[in-house]
Amino acid sequence: MPVVTASLAAIIFTAGVISGSLGALLGLGGGVFLVPFLNLVLGFPFTAAAAISLTTVIATSSSVSAGRAGKQLINMKLGMLLEVATAGGSFLGGVTAQFVAQSLLQRLFGLVAAIVAVIMLTRLRRRNVMLDPGADPGVLGGRYYEDESRTTVTYRVKRLPVAVGASFIAGNVSSLLGIGGGIIKVPILNAWCGIPLRAAAATSAFMIGVTATAGAVIYYGRGQLEPALAAVAVLGVQLGSWGGMRFGAAASVKWLKILMALVLFIVSAMMFARGGR
Amino acid sequence: MTAERPAVPASQRLEHAVGVVLRAGVTTSSVCLAVGVLWSLVTGESGAAHVLLQTGIIVLLMTPVARVVVSIAQYVSDRDWSFATLTAIVLIELLASAVAALMFNKKL
Repeated sequence: MPVVTASLAAIIFTAGVISGSLGALLGLGGGVFLVPFLNLVLGFPFTAAAAISLTTVIATSSSVSAGRAGKQLINMKLGMLLEVATAGGSFLGGVTAQFVAQSLLQRLFGLVAAIVAVIMLTRLRRRNVMLDPGADPGVLGGRYYEDESRTTVTYRVKRLPVAVGASFIAGNVSSLLGIGGGIIKVPILNAWCGIPLRAAAATSAFMIGVTATAGAVIYYGRGQLEPALAAVAVLGVQLGSWGGMRFGAAASVKWLKILMALVLFIVSAMMFARGGR
Repeated sequence: MTAERPAVPASQRLEHAVGVVLRAGVTTSSVCLAVGVLWSLVTGESGAAHVLLQTGIIVLLMTPVARVVVSIAQYVSDRDWSFATLTAIVLIELLASAVAALMFNKKL
């Protein structure tokens, strides 16, 4: 376990601010940046990095979803249904993380991230929406007001088993690698399940708090979570995501997708570099 | 203004309740963590700072659990049994994680 000093706390706080703002801009948790930083740059054990990151993921999910509650952007019913899969996956992942070598999973993650990035880039112009506000969204679909187009967006959920499967895998990867898992869920919900990017990101961010908790509790019980470092990381990420949210609302969906795909490629390369060692 | 208030849809009541729980949890934990960090920077490793940091972390970990509990209560009061059941399964999965955490804690 790393020794806590004031300068280390300051570095982690700054890293938290940066990953929090990038995460908010991209609709990701920010863990995809924080875990490689803590593990590769600061040399923390992978489990310690994952534990800190999962704690920040819970904080981001909670504060972002609290701010969005009441705007109908979060699809609560779909979220609660998919949480059954993510929390189960996360529980299994958290237990597995205590026994398994990380390298194979990291390479697998690198592969998945690259595939998802390609999907994002090939579906830039898809909107997945019915613009008739009277259309029936069904039990699991949703309806929200989109600021950019100034219209009410309605969508139905397609291929539910794909969404459930993706959520289970996302939950698993989440607690194994210390990320939120939105990196896996959001593109799949968007590309295959008919959910607009903003609603997919909001619903995923909402679910991630529960997903990360199922994993973080296990790291905490095992004594792999250093409270002081988790505290500065959480505060930094909170500040960063607050800042990123202001700017993120103005960013266009198309550029958001391109940016997100780019980030996925970088994360993929980092995971391969690490897992191949 | 004597006009009757339109009935608030169940989904909006749930969103509101969930928003309140999440905001309360994240605010409480952030305050505990911020004071704990500042305290330990000023006084070094002290008992009070340690308690504040641990409290902040535990409140943070409990926030999504509380959100799930509130959702179950809301679905039950709306008699939406299928979603009450689904959300109860999520709570059981979270409890399973806590049990696993306790087992790992004992073993070491």
